[in-house]
Amino acid sequence: MPRIIKTCCILLLGLFVFSCKVEHLTPPNEPMKNIAGSWGIIHATRNGTDLTSGFDFTKFRIVFTDSTYAIDSLLPFIVTTTGKWVFDDPQYPFNLIFTPADSSKSILAPFLFPVTGGVRNIVITFSPGCPANSYQYTLQKVN
Amino acid sequence: MKKTILPINKKSWSWIWKIAGTLIIIVIIACNLTISSVDQPLTAAGGSVVPITLNCSIMSNNPQTSALVVGILVPKIWNASSNTTVTFTADQTTGPQPMSLIPPNTPSPYGNGLSWQDDMMATIGHANNLIPEYEWIAFQSNQQYNYPITTTETVTVSIQIKVSTNNVLFNMAYVLAESGDGLHSTAYPPTASTSYYGTAFPSKPIRINGTGNLLDFVNPQLSVIVPGSSIDNDIITIPFNAKADSNALSAASQVYLCATGYTHGDSIKVCEQTSKTQLVSTGQGQWQTNMWPRGFFNLKAGQTLDSMEYYFTDVTGATKVGYAGGAAPFSFTFSCQ
Repeated sequence: MPRIIKTCCILLLGLFVFSCKVEHLTPPNEPMKNIAGSWGIIHATRNGTDLTSGFDFTKFRIVFTDSTYAIDSLLPFIVTTTGKWVFDDPQYPFNLIFTPADSSKSILAPFLFPVTGGVRNIVITFSPGCPANSYQYTLQKVN
Repeated sequence: MKKTILPINKKSWSWIWKIAGTLIIIVIIACNLTISSVDQPLTAAGGSVVPITLNCSIMSNNPQTSALVVGILVPKIWNASSNTTVTFTADQTTGPQPMSLIPPNTPSPYGNGLSWQDDMMATIGHANNLIPEYEWIAFQSNQQYNYPITTTETVTVSIQIKVSTNNVLFNMAYVLAESGDGLHSTAYPPTASTSYYGTAFPSKPIRINGTGNLLDFVNPQLSVIVPGSSIDNDIITIPFNAKADSNALSAASQVYLCATGYTHGDSIKVCEQTSKTQLVSTGQGQWQTNMWPRGFFNLKAGQTLDSMEYYFTDVTGATKVGYAGGAAPFSFTFSCQ
């Protein structure tokens, strides 16, 4: 009888030791930010003053593809002509970098990609005129 | 042994407590941050460094350690948050003590979520400046200090602002506070919140003799374009204050803009009574329109505006109001200076 108990104990100990496995945890992969589509302005400020209701922003559109952009009904903006764009970091972008087709110079604009009311927005800050005048546009995808 | 009964009834105790409590509160709230006087020049040259001194005193009966906070109301055009140095001396310090800019989103203590700057604007105001192109900038001492108990400490704040080159007339304002209580401490509820800060509004505005259009924040004017520094690719606000001066449109029910833009050697006139030029009423005789000059004057690529002249009309276009209510147009130069 003691022999059976001893054998069982050894088996249980073996089971206990060999049941442990090293778990290889892989951090979740942050998805690439996708902004492809047509975006319109839903909110605009100049030096912190709300301009949304006092100026007609409704016709402005910027259409992003995977690497290019096009502007319709131009308003004061970071760029004035079509061209290419990239993120400074596709997974964790802090800046949108525009390169107009008629220029080799890239223009960098601080970029936020918040979800407000369940809807993804793009918030960009730039100075199209005097450097002291800072504009912030909140863009939302237009169907 | 016979128990001795004090000859004080319940009602008397109630009164004793009320009086004692009031005395305790009076002792505790004897806290004062005061700006006694301001040494500020009446005029300064555009682009110069303007020296300002705040002569202050601080006293608190409640021991505490906190940082000194100074707020300054300035025109945005000065970009003063990047061009201002603030230091102070006090009885308890040796030599000038450095102060650093409080970042814009730093919450003000007891400020209901507002930043220091927004709290100053909401609580102290804008010193009757008429053009909404002003801002509060706030500085905080790099170290915390023990506040003097029962004695009054003299504090001298030295402010150096490098102003822009623009012509400006502006009402300055200052506030002195400390980082523990902010502007609305609730530590001692009966205490008025004004006990926790001191303000100063110099009786005369500061005049910066610079270049370009005078940005007059002080005197009511028929029309001052905002932002004062802008070019044709900015969105500018053109206001019309129908009540500021005697003029032919003071009772008009509709006001329109008639403008001429000047490019290099050319001019473009837009003078029509349509939705494109119509100003929107913001109440009490105030009208305004926001304009993107490049779009308004339909400029071609490569074309830029140097200046603009404008006046206001009624719906017929026959009644016109220009500079000082007369026939001469208002003038605006597109410049970032």
